[in-house]
Amino acid sequence: MDKKYGVYICTGCGIGDALDIERLSKLPQKEYNVEICKTHGFCCGPEGVDLIKKDIEGEGVNAIIVAGCSPRVNQDVFDFGSDKIVERVNLREQVVWCHDLAPVEAGEDAEASEAESALKEGVNLHTQFIAEDYLRMGIVKAQKSELPEPYLLETVSKKILVMGGGISGLTAAIEAANTGYEVTLVEKESSLGGYAAKLRKQIPMSNPFTDLQAPIIQEKIKAVESHPKIEIKTNTVVARIAGEPGDFTVTLKAPGETIEFDVPQLVTQTHDEEGKELTKEQTDELYNELNKGRADILTFDPNGEKFGAVILATGWKPYDASEFENLGFGKYQNVITNVMMEELAANGRITRPSDGKEAKSVVFIQNPNGDDDSDFPFASSVTSLVALKQAKYVREDSSDAKAYVIYQHMRTPGLYENFYKSMQQDDGIFLTKGKVSSITEEGDGSLAVEVDDNLLGEKIRINVDMAVLATGMVPTTKDDAIVNLAYRQGPGFRDIGQFDGYADSNFICFPYETQRTGIYAAGCVRQTLTMADCVEDATGAALKAIQCVESVNRGVAVHPRSGDLTYPDFFFQRCTQCKRCTEECPFGALDDDEKGTPKPNPARCRRCGTCMGACPERIINFADYSIDMIGSMIKAIEGPTEDDYDPVPLRVIVLVGENDAYPAIDMAGMNRLKYSPYVRFIPVRCLGSVNTVWIKDALSSGLDGILLLGCQFGDDYQCHFVKGSELCDRRMENVAETLKSLALEPERVELKQVSITDYDKIPEIINKFVEAIDEVGPNPFKGF
Amino acid sequence: MAAESAKTVTTVEPDLDFIKALKKSGGDTLKKCMQCANCSVACPLAPDSKPFPRKEMIWAGWGLKDKLAANPDVWLCHQCNDCSLYCPRGAKPGDVLAAIRNMAIRENAFPKFLGNIVAEKKYLPLLFIVPAVLFFLILSVTGHLNIPAGEVVFSKLLPVMYVDTVFVPTAFLMAFFAFKGVMNFWKSLVDADAKQGTKRYLTPPLPHFVKMYILPVVSDILTHVRFKKCGSNRDRYTAHLGIFYGFVGLFIVTNVVMVGHYIFHIDTPFSMVGPVKLLANFSAIILFIGTTLVIRNRMADADDPGASGSSYSDWSLLWVIYAVTITGILSQVLRLSGIAVLAYPMYFAHLLCVFCLFIYLPYSKLAHLLYRTTAMVYAKYTGRD
Repeated sequence: MDKKYGVYICTGCGIGDALDIERLSKLPQKEYNVEICKTHGFCCGPEGVDLIKKDIEGEGVNAIIVAGCSPRVNQDVFDFGSDKIVERVNLREQVVWCHDLAPVEAGEDAEASEAESALKEGVNLHTQFIAEDYLRMGIVKAQKSELPEPYLLETVSKKILVMGGGISGLTAAIEAANTGYEVTLVEKESSLGGYAAKLRKQIPMSNPFTDLQAPIIQEKIKAVESHPKIEIKTNTVVARIAGEPGDFTVTLKAPGETIEFDVPQLVTQTHDEEGKELTKEQTDELYNELNKGRADILTFDPNGEKFGAVILATGWKPYDASEFENLGFGKYQNVITNVMMEELAANGRITRPSDGKEAKSVVFIQNPNGDDDSDFPFASSVTSLVALKQAKYVREDSSDAKAYVIYQHMRTPGLYENFYKSMQQDDGIFLTKGKVSSITEEGDGSLAVEVDDNLLGEKIRINVDMAVLATGMVPTTKDDAIVNLAYRQGPGFRDIGQFDGYADSNFICFPYETQRTGIYAAGCVRQTLTMADCVEDATGAALKAIQCVESVNRGVAVHPRSGDLTYPDFFFQRCTQCKRCTEECPFGALDDDEKGTPKPNPARCRRCGTCMGACPERIINFADYSIDMIGSMIKAIEGPTEDDYDPVPLRVIVLVGENDAYPAIDMAGMNRLKYSPYVRFIPVRCLGSVNTVWIKDALSSGLDGILLLGCQFGDDYQCHFVKGSELCDRRMENVAETLKSLALEPERVELKQVSITDYDKIPEIINKFVEAIDEVGPNPFKGF
Repeated sequence: MAAESAKTVTTVEPDLDFIKALKKSGGDTLKKCMQCANCSVACPLAPDSKPFPRKEMIWAGWGLKDKLAANPDVWLCHQCNDCSLYCPRGAKPGDVLAAIRNMAIRENAFPKFLGNIVAEKKYLPLLFIVPAVLFFLILSVTGHLNIPAGEVVFSKLLPVMYVDTVFVPTAFLMAFFAFKGVMNFWKSLVDADAKQGTKRYLTPPLPHFVKMYILPVVSDILTHVRFKKCGSNRDRYTAHLGIFYGFVGLFIVTNVVMVGHYIFHIDTPFSMVGPVKLLANFSAIILFIGTTLVIRNRMADADDPGASGSSYSDWSLLWVIYAVTITGILSQVLRLSGIAVLAYPMYFAHLLCVFCLFIYLPYSKLAHLLYRTTAMVYAKYTGRD
């Protein structure tokens, strides 16, 4: 693309008062030979926009650099079409709103004060320097940007595959089909409905949330069966899903069948019997042995069906209660689980398994008798609500029946509180927080249950006919890949230590999105949910699947960078087959072949740039985000030299994650929080995309320190890209080693975690780092 | 886990009928309790250890009748209703405790059937008809079933001797029944503590017991010091004080009259400006004011969460007291006006009301006089208060 640059400096919002605009506007011409540089008092107003449009038409400007407010605002105003490159230089939030505007006092810094005299009167020298550096970086960025071209598949399938025929799967199928998409629903059992079809009654789904209601599953089944756009396949499971969103090749099979296109499994063994780490060859051998008779992931099933996106709604399975022998399970016939209770209740009046006698008193136990107050594994608000529901069954069967609920936690979120109240107010339902310390069987099969640490103020014994354990609902993805993806990273979702086997990708921000683009989880496989919540969840997942096929159809990213046209571009001639990109991609987008050459699947990609950060050969780049671009921006920073100043002011670059840290810095500006003028911010898509070469670039061009601001990690990590900042942190450990070998202080590079709400901490983080660098002293490579 | 095994285990068996009964007698909100314990924090009277009414609420919700009957704490409650005011669930612990007290009166009653009869609304007419018939019989047998001529002097209708031959033995019998009830209660308190292993085994000699535990309680009652701590229902303090001292005054007057009659042979009516009559009339007035206030308070906005709900036992006692007060005052007014034809029947009605008030004392809400005092003494005795 032949670029014609135009720089437009906005002087509104206080920018014009704080800076020497005349000097700033001469910079593009002087340093970058950019002829067109105009200023306007109100760039985002109709006149300002017209000014730019006139140049686009009249002068043929197609690379527009707007220096004014943050790129986070006025995106629509400065959108001049997809054939233009627009760069925004943040002079407002990150320069004039957060730095000293008053001139440097002569007594404070005589030299700076003198240098200042060359500027417009009343302008602070350091603030002017920041603005100039940002303008340089903006121009360089525009120079290094290319217009992105969408990644378009040859053929796009918009069909949606729904896995699981329970309440979530049925709902997702109906919602997607009603929107006009072809849906195939697969269910491994011979009939539809799942657990929802095995209930006596349901927890209320609508206002006032007080009474049990009749199951709704039959209506759903009918709707699915009669829908012209839904194809139902019972007794069917997914053998493998290969390819990428919009073009998945899916092989279906009967449960238990063994076929060529069963998905290859990963080798889990890492060490041999003697405890020695397996070599690559040994691992490969094990892999081949394990997957004998199975086609490689890169071999597509010629008879496979094409799908655009997948909704994973395979639900849950009951937790194996056999480990709770201490509560009498497996030992006494009348100790059962909530799932067994539901079955009893669905079949009619509730009777004791031991002798068929009517169960007139039943205790519902919500936690195992452990050392702490934790509930049964995989228990949740749903198991709390189910205990209340089943207590009501007991009361429905007989007016003199008694139901006890012993809990450590009673979770009835939201309007389910009404349900809790309603159940609690039943005369024959008795609730107490407490710990079941023993269960013993009496001669006639009834049970004596002792409850300690309860609300009644003393250890109590209750005599009951039956005990029901509120065991948890285990996501089907806990021990089985289920989705069976023919991906190099393995057939399931990677265990990142956050989700206990649930098919989820982020602890709060992105429901439905799994760690695999195009696979959307809904219902209890994602999180234990009530029916009402499953219905809502499935609807959301259906919308997400639709968003996916439509985005792929237009060749843009689905999420979280929705609409992004760029994708990683590999310069394969220089690839050394190190596989780092394949391994580190948080979304398993890359499948390397036998030699280890990565095969990109851009429709699977979320455009975080983790591969770009990983690549030691630096051959992975995006059209508007590349190794060279950020490196050149770093080099564009004008480091003051000893010729001009003594002592030389520090220069520190801050690589800022776009999702949390960058908005936090903008907010610090909006709140007029001041911080050191020696730092220069460079936004990055994700700290995972930070290539270590940028650290080298910065230090070799004489910058004194590099601060990386990324998302929080830990249990409540906020990363859009799974664990980008954590990954970066690990890479920086290696950088520290390298620095030491170069006799540079490792303190020059530091990573800090910032939440989007941490704007008030920004000045402290920055100033502390600058102080630390000040202590370490200037970069010895300065001036080389 | 030696300490663990040493813990006593109580077998609990919820009594569904008891829950129903409690709900019927004013505790209809009891199942709304979610055990947050705001009530125990709000209560100005609850002791620091094992404070009420949180634990009573779950015992009630679980239908644990025995635990509640043997519990002094429900009587330490003066139903200020701070708890009900601050209850986030509208469980009205104040009303529930009142219902529990009704139940406790019934449970400890001796003989039991009297407790049951007084507690049930349907027997109300019977409670008045029986003594009325009895009085008529006495009048007819003694030939007094007419309006005496001349100046209105009530002893003409019913000579003191006749009144007392009925009242005094009845009083002694009722005192005995009341004593049995109180002892039942005391024993259940001691037994419950014994079961918990917190019984006091050393019983001090009686004079010491009186000095240490009974006199301070009497002092507390006379000063209404506990009542005064109530936050949300301060007017109940004034009202109850009126009723209480009204009765105290009338009790003194009655005794003076008795002593005057039997020892000094001075007969009623006394001089209107004499000290006895002044005290009597003063007491009647404060009793009237106190009762009016209580009735007005109870009739006030029922939506106010801090207001007491009122059960049959509340209303029956209040109206009887009101009837006693009004018939007493009217009797005097009519007597002084010389309207014999109204004065004598009014006096008859007054006597009947007084008789009913006292004969049913151990079984009506008025029994709180016995049980609350007992519980307060027990609380002092066990160091709970």
